[in-house]
Amino acid sequence: MTSALPGTSQIRRAAALLLKSQQIGIVAVLLVLGLALTFAAGSHIDALSGVRVNNFLNAYTLVQIGTDASSFAIMGVGATIVIIAGGIDLSVGAIYALSGVGMAMVLRAVGPMGPVATVAVALATCLSIALLCGLANGFMVIGLGVHPFIITLGTMWVLRGLAFVVSHAESVLVPDALTNVAKARLGLSADLFPVPLLVMLIVTAIGQVYLSRTVSGRHVFAIGGNPEASRYSGLRVDRVKLGVYAISGLSAGIAAFLGASFYGSATSSDANGYELYVIAAAVVGGASLIGGKGSAISATLGAILIVMIRQAIRTLHLDQNYEWIIIGSAMILAVVLDQGGTRLLARRMAAGSSPPEPTTVAPEADS
Amino acid sequence: MAAIAFSGITKRFPGALALSNVSFDIRSGTCHAVCGENGAGKSTLGKILSGLQKPDAGEIRLDGEVVSFEDPRDALASGVAMVHQELAFCENLTVGENLCLGQLPRRFGFVQRDVVNARARELLSAIGASIDPARPMDTLTVAEQQLVQIACAVRAAAKVLVFDEPTSSLGADDAERLFALIDELKSRGVTIIYVSHRMKEIHRLCDDITVLRDGRHVATRAASELDEPALIQLMIGRKLEQYLPASMAEECGEERLRVEHLSRDGAFEDVSFTLHAGEVLGLAGLIGAGRSEIAQSIFGLERAGRGTVWVRGERAEIRSARDAVQLRIGYVPEDRKKQGLVLSMRTDENSTLPTLQQFARLGWIDKRREGAVVRRLFERLRVRARPDAVTAELSGGNQQKIVMAKWLAAECDILILDEPTRGVDVGAKAELHAWIDELAIHGCAVLLISSELPELINLSTRILVLRNGRVVGEVARAAATQEGLLRMMTGTDETLPAA
Repeated sequence: MTSALPGTSQIRRAAALLLKSQQIGIVAVLLVLGLALTFAAGSHIDALSGVRVNNFLNAYTLVQIGTDASSFAIMGVGATIVIIAGGIDLSVGAIYALSGVGMAMVLRAVGPMGPVATVAVALATCLSIALLCGLANGFMVIGLGVHPFIITLGTMWVLRGLAFVVSHAESVLVPDALTNVAKARLGLSADLFPVPLLVMLIVTAIGQVYLSRTVSGRHVFAIGGNPEASRYSGLRVDRVKLGVYAISGLSAGIAAFLGASFYGSATSSDANGYELYVIAAAVVGGASLIGGKGSAISATLGAILIVMIRQAIRTLHLDQNYEWIIIGSAMILAVVLDQGGTRLLARRMAAGSSPPEPTTVAPEADS
Repeated sequence: MAAIAFSGITKRFPGALALSNVSFDIRSGTCHAVCGENGAGKSTLGKILSGLQKPDAGEIRLDGEVVSFEDPRDALASGVAMVHQELAFCENLTVGENLCLGQLPRRFGFVQRDVVNARARELLSAIGASIDPARPMDTLTVAEQQLVQIACAVRAAAKVLVFDEPTSSLGADDAERLFALIDELKSRGVTIIYVSHRMKEIHRLCDDITVLRDGRHVATRAASELDEPALIQLMIGRKLEQYLPASMAEECGEERLRVEHLSRDGAFEDVSFTLHAGEVLGLAGLIGAGRSEIAQSIFGLERAGRGTVWVRGERAEIRSARDAVQLRIGYVPEDRKKQGLVLSMRTDENSTLPTLQQFARLGWIDKRREGAVVRRLFERLRVRARPDAVTAELSGGNQQKIVMAKWLAAECDILILDEPTRGVDVGAKAELHAWIDELAIHGCAVLLISSELPELINLSTRILVLRNGRVVGEVARAAATQEGLLRMMTGTDETLPAA
């Protein structure tokens, strides 16, 4: 590419990169919503310091949004990977409950240990249970030839039922060692707990790198985009499928560890209905339920958007009874806007850039 | 008086002229054959007549009146119906429901099942078929489904019935029954258009024959005037297009692929051949002769029931495409959009799909190495697309080159090419041909499946002819003619020795 003005071409290229990135739409929506909330929320005088603080744009509220979004986002990254592969996982909420309850009960049975050992045992238990649940989903999806919607709908009930039975429906407390980890302040002020937020960012980064830079991530896109062509290319389609359900289960395990540790207990009714929030986060983030399209960053942004809408209801002192109606409508609106924007952008790009291709597009000739 | 008169019918598809100024008449109450090679435009003509496609130019007269059909319903209203090559039904509904679809008898919004079944039984008996209307469509055999479709077509009080390759999926008995039914319909005054390239059927059924070639009308004659050699001559007509002198001068190298007595029930029987380095072995046959099925079995996509495959002199158990890829066998499938490419992915991602592991370390893709290989391949194949373009946006020719690139990246020295130039424009076709030649010169062993006889004859060192799943002969390139191959493919000449 030769241009007389290298400066403008660079700016243009950077702009094009930003415009081309899948996240542009949702980032714009988040910014607009955040800005609107900042202006509409009003402010109050902080009792301690006497400084005027915005009711929305303050450290506490923002970290709170991050904390609330973290479990949706962590599982949302897993869900996105499943959805890109052309599947769906409805059982993540139940996996969350079962692995949380299982972890708490194992810790109770083992008895007091040093803090490091406690955390290690807790993590190992929680993640193994979640991984096993994910693998069970995967094996059933590839082995039984039943649509994953049905399989994971079934395991959603089975696994939550298991959690219910093993815990006798009681709330099981977890040791303080875990809470100390999940609520570690990391040098921030007393009432800010940044660990869930950080874990969310790390999981998102890992998910994004997995999808864009690894062989198996590429294979996930391939089998979601066209399982037939993937098979013809020698990919092990079943193994990839198994992998994505394992990842989804694992993501629920991470969220469960964090959640149970943060709140200090686990019950069989934890994360009830989360699967829908999680799928919503993935879809709001632009994942296509047909498969072949999606991104981990977008899923996390989607989760943040959903939580922010909920936060808006509180910040603006709207009637809490309307929460569901508002969230539902906003979700549909977000997806419609995103699709419209993507289409518009695609058309703009198709018109603007001239691909180096003189030949006409020849679709399959009918014979 | 002509029942149907085509005048100046032209139909253009992007990149291909399917029909060019076609004009001829069809006499009322006759069975009229429309024949030609694959891609001659005969199916397109049928689709235009039955309202599935609209011509770009020209007009159709039905009993002297100009008609213009917006869709198949329009055509049905004028009494024109088509029995399709691929049968399209709502498989989950019953025979009766399918027959009455669009005008289901209902009372207070509820479907009257007994009326549906009675009406369906009436329609079926009108063509002498006895199929229980209450049966779900997907429990029917192909022949029965075809009968339902014919009943469907006759229901519309059809004056004109178009049959598009109706026997391509029928056994001999079912085909004979179909012929009897066509005779019967003809005797009732229905005008039949019979699209086919099967000589025997055409002479068995038809009064007149129209030959199309490359979308052009070649001749319309009485069937009695055209014997089989004359008809084949008309269908082929042109001189062979001259390609570059190919690899045939080279001596063949060592054995790369040997197939012995390979059989798969319902697809092919007892197929044996040997493929050498530097050789292009052509597989000729009509649609349904089992060519693609053989390729799929060799490539591990469908298990062959019996027989053995030897790769580079060693017995190979290929259970999946992955096994085949590891043996450096590549397969460019027939349907590139369904089987060859992930259209939602980028072109570079598609090119490296089978070989991604090569560019990776501990599962981590080295994008620079991947990019370098893709650039080199795109240059070699002259792909006119950027590596980051979405594959769906490419032209057919460039898409096909991407599918080729996949196997070049894998450094395959055994390549199975299934209709490699289908739906590809002329320029890209020539490039692909040159490529196939060059591959062979560089010692690649190529198994070439093509329905285009000139392509097959020009590129192949030897040609294996298949009919109904069996090898019926082998022809050296020097001895191969389109007439000869077509005779063997259609079975009009049984005197040729089997291989």
